Amino acid sequence: MSGDTIIELKNVGVRYRRKAGFMRNNAFWALHDVSFDLRHGETLGVIGRNGAGKSTLLRLLAGILAPDNGEVLRKTERVSLLALQAGFIPALSGRQNAILSGILLGLSKAEVEARMDEMVRFAELEQFIDEPVRTYSSGMRARLGFTVAFQADPDVLLIDEILGTGDASFREKSSKAMRDKIASDKTVVIVTHYPETILDLCDRIVWVNQGVTVEVGEPRTVVEHYQQSLKQGGMRA
Amino acid sequence: MPAPRAAVRAITGDRLSMRRTGYLELIWYKGMADLHAEAARAYVGFIWWVLEPLLYMGAFYVAFGLGLRGGGSHTLTFLLCGLVPWKWFSSTIQSGSNSIQANSGLIQQVYLPKYVLPWMVLVTNGMKFLIILGLLMLLVAALYGVALSWLALPVVVLVQLLLVAALASLAAALVPLVPDLSLVIDNGILVLMFVSGVFNDVSRLPPTLAHLLSFNPMVQVIEAYRAILLAKAWPAWDKLAWVALFSALLYGFALNLLRRFDRIYPKVMVGG
Repeated sequence: MSGDTIIELKNVGVRYRRKAGFMRNNAFWALHDVSFDLRHGETLGVIGRNGAGKSTLLRLLAGILAPDNGEVLRKTERVSLLALQAGFIPALSGRQNAILSGILLGLSKAEVEARMDEMVRFAELEQFIDEPVRTYSSGMRARLGFTVAFQADPDVLLIDEILGTGDASFREKSSKAMRDKIASDKTVVIVTHYPETILDLCDRIVWVNQGVTVEVGEPRTVVEHYQQSLKQGGMRA
Repeated sequence: MPAPRAAVRAITGDRLSMRRTGYLELIWYKGMADLHAEAARAYVGFIWWVLEPLLYMGAFYVAFGLGLRGGGSHTLTFLLCGLVPWKWFSSTIQSGSNSIQANSGLIQQVYLPKYVLPWMVLVTNGMKFLIILGLLMLLVAALYGVALSWLALPVVVLVQLLLVAALASLAAALVPLVPDLSLVIDNGILVLMFVSGVFNDVSRLPPTLAHLLSFNPMVQVIEAYRAILLAKAWPAWDKLAWVALFSALLYGFALNLLRRFDRIYPKVMVGG
């Protein structure tokens, strides 16, 4: 049902251990105390400075990492990152990579093959799809990576930056495709450190600073508070 | 700040599986893709799948076959029946032990249950092994002819697959947690090579030593290949059953470790 909570984080912490010599480890808490809920059909923005723990938060939501503290309650298991170029092997053709990446993202080989023509057209790779990906320009690679990743259709889509990829014209096209998907009733979490880019897309925004949730709420209010803190804190915040 | 409490209802990795097709298609396609990629990278492509083991076996034939035994076709086939399965065993365990690190970027992007990673190596190396085994069978057929006992070959291959899968998965599970182990594994495999009957007939050793070495599962596997291909006899089923049981238990243990650390591995990679 629209509006029902589908994932809830309660005082979640995630710790990494860094090797600091023989038999010694340093613990590093990327997330200390993060709490918020994600509701069905909404678009939730996550903002914060570099090192705030945003990437760790996405991996936690995607089920890649488990919390070391607190709890994560889920009502859905189909949560995944928009994983660009996942598993690409440069020596193989664009077509083989599209199939491989598609299977990694949870599609069947038959499903990827059925959509292949459409994907090739969207990625503008008609002439090159059977050439090895190592011969591609970075723009071509990005176009293929986005197009394949965009085929995956999880219940909750996690996006790291909305800016789009590839060269200028494709950036516009991919950004539009993402915005269209976000505007639909899909549940989306977008992480960014450019809050302006998601202000008009999000229903709510979570502000995370140094692994702690500072504020959750109406986008304009939260972003305003966030920007004030940046000004006050100067370079340090 | 409220005191955080321990995770009580963290969903385990397996319940997060978000695909209807299971992981079989992924393992197969990725394993074959790696095989293609290996061929695509080299000049002469897939010829390397044959050439590389031939060179490897040629080196051992020169060193041990000609040097120690004076050569001859029996020496050649005797050595090959040891080297071909040995090569599959050792290369798969070595690549398998690295399979989580080799995919560290991937497992940060997409959730994958970690047991699938060594299986990708098992597919790639298993296909290469089958090609080489096919060539060996042709050679043996040309020299000594085919026997009814060849019907037992698939069983021996499957038993060895189970053994290799168990050890590769165990190595895959442990190496990311204790990186130093990869050195131990490399050296262990080298030592094991000399006590697996690759170069000599274990049953002709002094009885106590032969008895001791018979606990090495690779001794049983290699003897089974030799029995079938060279002696035209059925393999020792009881010994093979023992190897299969041992391997199944070991695989269960490895699987358990891979499950337990399923969502620890992506962190270890970052912390590295």
